[in-house]
Amino acid sequence: MWNDRYEALLRSHLPFLPETEELRPDLELREFGLDSLGVVDLLVSLESEYDVRLTDDILSMETFATPSALWAALADTRESVSL
Amino acid sequence: MSTGIIFPGMGPWGYSDLGKFLAANPHARKLRRIADDVLGYPLMDRYRAAAGSDLSDYSEYSQVAFLISCLALIEEAAGTLAAEPVACAGPSFGGKSAIAYSGALPAAEMILLTARLARCEEEYFKTEYTDVVTQSVARTPWSVLQAILDAMTQRDEWHDISGQVDKDFFMISMRTPSLELFLKEVRAAGGLPLYAMRPPMHSSAFAALRSKAEKEVLSDFTFSSPSLPIIADQDGSVVTTAAAARDMLLDGFIRPVQWPKVVHSMKELGVTDVYIPGLDSLFGRVRCTTENFKVIALKPGTLRR
Repeated sequence: MWNDRYEALLRSHLPFLPETEELRPDLELREFGLDSLGVVDLLVSLESEYDVRLTDDILSMETFATPSALWAALADTRESVSL
Repeated sequence: MSTGIIFPGMGPWGYSDLGKFLAANPHARKLRRIADDVLGYPLMDRYRAAAGSDLSDYSEYSQVAFLISCLALIEEAAGTLAAEPVACAGPSFGGKSAIAYSGALPAAEMILLTARLARCEEEYFKTEYTDVVTQSVARTPWSVLQAILDAMTQRDEWHDISGQVDKDFFMISMRTPSLELFLKEVRAAGGLPLYAMRPPMHSSAFAALRSKAEKEVLSDFTFSSPSLPIIADQDGSVVTTAAAARDMLLDGFIRPVQWPKVVHSMKELGVTDVYIPGLDSLFGRVRCTTENFKVIALKPGTLRR
């Protein structure tokens, strides 16, 4: 399961998700305002926050479909580093 | 402080995004009545019926609906702008809205022209370039993209640059068999592929479409000189004559969008604040725009972004 830091960062890119609503693992991020340019901004934020450079297959819209898919991709990238 | 208007390019918006606004907004309703009259069919009925079909995003009805929404929103905002605009622009589809707003063609005629161009384009791509798409890629600086495109040239794979949206954001047209390797190389370099548009757009390969549109559609319309300068999305030139406005529209078929050049020209004219009437998911949000202007989005009230 992800940590508070990840959740706070992800929420800041979801303009339609009320603060009171739970960030479910299978939440469809697009439905809550993460459009294409939102994905670009989120990617930059994640790389800066976790000091990683995402490349290859991770860079697809599927990665940014749900909180769990994105967290898994991020964890794979930084497997040896504490998130 | 000086203002400009930027009419958005058309994204994959559907009936669920615009239907309520078009039904309720008085400016949109007035334009809808005009549309029903010039098109000879009830726009909203067709728009609603087409919703959800494979081609609904860019159907004739969606295009007219999008045009109307943009024109209604700027009409509604008239009198509330911080200053009279000194220029307008419209990347890609937005060029049609800009031409209507500038007075180079009345709204009624632009509605009809939009519908007829949509039919013309659909007819063309039914048999021509049936396997070509226009792919957008972000986070891909020109130096990186150039190397990838050079490799495609080496492999004898056709491609064409259809637009530059930002310093590291491009639109490339290519045949679908080339797409997989292209995307893999973009990702390997840290680029982010966004979406592939069909029909494709803005490529010199479509010269026959430009000719067809000129002969079969544009020949029935007479343009006037714009009363407000338009910045051409192909090169940032300032359009002030009827002929140049007409050429800008036709050249949109064959020349790439050069958004940074439009931004540069607007700045040269002293523009500091830009209003964006309509649903915009791209040009008003890229850094090239937000770093140079204060952006004021004019959106249907039901939407927050």
